[in-house]
Amino acid sequence: MSTLAAVPENAPRWPGLIPPVLIAIPFVLKLAGVPVANAWIIFALLFGLMLTGMPISISLGLTVLTYLFTMTTVPIESVALKLFTGIEKFEIMAIPFFILAGNFLTHGGVARRMINFASSMVGHWHGGLGLAGVMACALFAAVSGSSPATVVAIGSIILPAMLKQGFPARFGAGVVTTSGALGILIPPSIVMVMYAVATNTSVGALFIAGIVPGLVLAILLGLTTWWRARKNNYPRQKRASWLERWRAFRQSVWGLLLVIVVIGGIYTGMFTPTEAAAVSAVYAFLIAVFVYKDMTLAKVPKVLLDSASMSAMLLYIITNAVMFSYLMTSEQIPQELAAWMLGKGLGVIAFLLFVNIILLLAGNVMEPSSIVLIMAPILFPVAMKLGIDPVHFGIMMVVNMEVGMCHPPVGLNLYVASGITKMGITELTIAVWPWLLTMLGFLIVVTYWPGLSLWLPRVLGMIT
Amino acid sequence: MKFLDHLEEWLIAILMGAATLLIFVAVLHRYAAGMPIPVLQDALLAIDMSWAQELCIYMFVWMAKFGAAYGVRTGIHVGVDVMINQLPPATRKVYVLFGLLAGATFTAIVGTLGATFTWEIAQTSSTSPDLEIPKWIVYLCIPLGSYLMCFRFLQVAWHFARTGELPKHDVGHVEGIEEADSDAYVMAPGLHPADLTAGGRK
Repeated sequence: MSTLAAVPENAPRWPGLIPPVLIAIPFVLKLAGVPVANAWIIFALLFGLMLTGMPISISLGLTVLTYLFTMTTVPIESVALKLFTGIEKFEIMAIPFFILAGNFLTHGGVARRMINFASSMVGHWHGGLGLAGVMACALFAAVSGSSPATVVAIGSIILPAMLKQGFPARFGAGVVTTSGALGILIPPSIVMVMYAVATNTSVGALFIAGIVPGLVLAILLGLTTWWRARKNNYPRQKRASWLERWRAFRQSVWGLLLVIVVIGGIYTGMFTPTEAAAVSAVYAFLIAVFVYKDMTLAKVPKVLLDSASMSAMLLYIITNAVMFSYLMTSEQIPQELAAWMLGKGLGVIAFLLFVNIILLLAGNVMEPSSIVLIMAPILFPVAMKLGIDPVHFGIMMVVNMEVGMCHPPVGLNLYVASGITKMGITELTIAVWPWLLTMLGFLIVVTYWPGLSLWLPRVLGMIT
Repeated sequence: MKFLDHLEEWLIAILMGAATLLIFVAVLHRYAAGMPIPVLQDALLAIDMSWAQELCIYMFVWMAKFGAAYGVRTGIHVGVDVMINQLPPATRKVYVLFGLLAGATFTAIVGTLGATFTWEIAQTSSTSPDLEIPKWIVYLCIPLGSYLMCFRFLQVAWHFARTGELPKHDVGHVEGIEEADSDAYVMAPGLHPADLTAGGRK
């Protein structure tokens, strides 16, 4: 698979100077007696370190240590304490549980049965299997909290089937890459837990708020698929009888029940989100191994190890991001940013536009969890000052992250899809455009129409 | 060395599974104890499960520290490599080594801070609120995990300096695809530095 052309021996070396120069400038200015805002020193350090390609978690941690060591007299021990207490919150523990549940579901044949159900329902319309793919992604998103996992679970089954029926590879890849992004918008969602942790917003309210925008986006992506398929006259399925539909539903009902367990359980207050995640992990294990029997007990240790390793990577970023956000707060950087924006007379509309542009740019170089953990603590206080609802702001960030996952250079979904289809990233990038444009349009709607996200949690009385 | 590798893998996999079961049982217990079944209810009410949340947090904190070390060995930690992957191999090698050594430095500092901190806590009689186990045992994961992570960074750096290879799952092969989901992060080459084999990025 070729993602970028191999770099020749004689490629220019000068970009290699960017990180050290970037880091050095504010320090030199400071030494030269020029007043430099602390924020610039911190951000120059962070971006400089990140550009060297070291893990994001390490660059966050080193930024904090370097800044404290060179610029302040704060004893490092007091901040290091944050390293120990940073992730001691029960809400954060939903992340490993949701990852584990997702892995059991992906391996356990749940996805295949959901696809069968979806294709029996919508397969006879224009777009056939493609439309079924969108619906299956939406269904799987309702049991899984991660987008790349959704792409793998649905894509690895539906893409080969689509190729066999005569769909162009581009069309299939475009559908699955973008619909898979629903994974983090339709609850449960790992990115929403990250946002909740970074801003002290209620995970439950965020989950419920994601339902309506998630369904709307699924319908929009479905419409795009339908329209493209009708224009190009792609194959359709034979209409399934109601008996066939009922059978497909019965087959997939074990997976669908999980939706009720998670959303119903959290909404009625039967479980906290973390407990719901743990229950769904055990439930997913039981149906994968004992009901569908698509996974053997011997594979369980491997699934546990993979889930543990991915959770640990995310938890390690959280630990260091907590330390970084402590530094932000103690240096009053969000307050300065807020004062600056209000001083410029920037209102809600301009601020939201600014946030979207920053996040879309960040989406070019980082993956969603890191972006949310770094940006939310900085932008959130400003949003609060401007009177933006915390839940609405969260949903907007999540939709923005979805867009970032579907375009290069770091779109996780894109790479997963490219692994399945064996298509190059450049070709895939062209393939996803029609759907990506739909998503960008949807992002504007979500940004400027808070009611779309806030209506359901308000009706249910979860927020005021 | 093999022994250490396996210990690491088993530790984090078992912690993951055990924590899940623990919370599941605690939830079951809470609801079962609420049901008016004569003898069973009294028996269940006699069992105190209030410590479950705390234990779960500690298990995951331990898992996170050792899992992060395991992640260095398998190359799962994500970074921003847009710039360095455009550099010629010789320059890139400098940056990759710098990144790895920076990781080793950071984890060594954190490990030492953690060791000092744990030592100070051990002098007090501070215990955790629900389980009432000494706090220093809980915090022991920080020096242990961080030093292990430091060791892993040095190991990877040494290997890279000699062979030009970084630990990375082969991006091109989505073997059976079943394996792919949990590797979604590893599969994204845009988040990991390309190594120096086969002219850099494949």
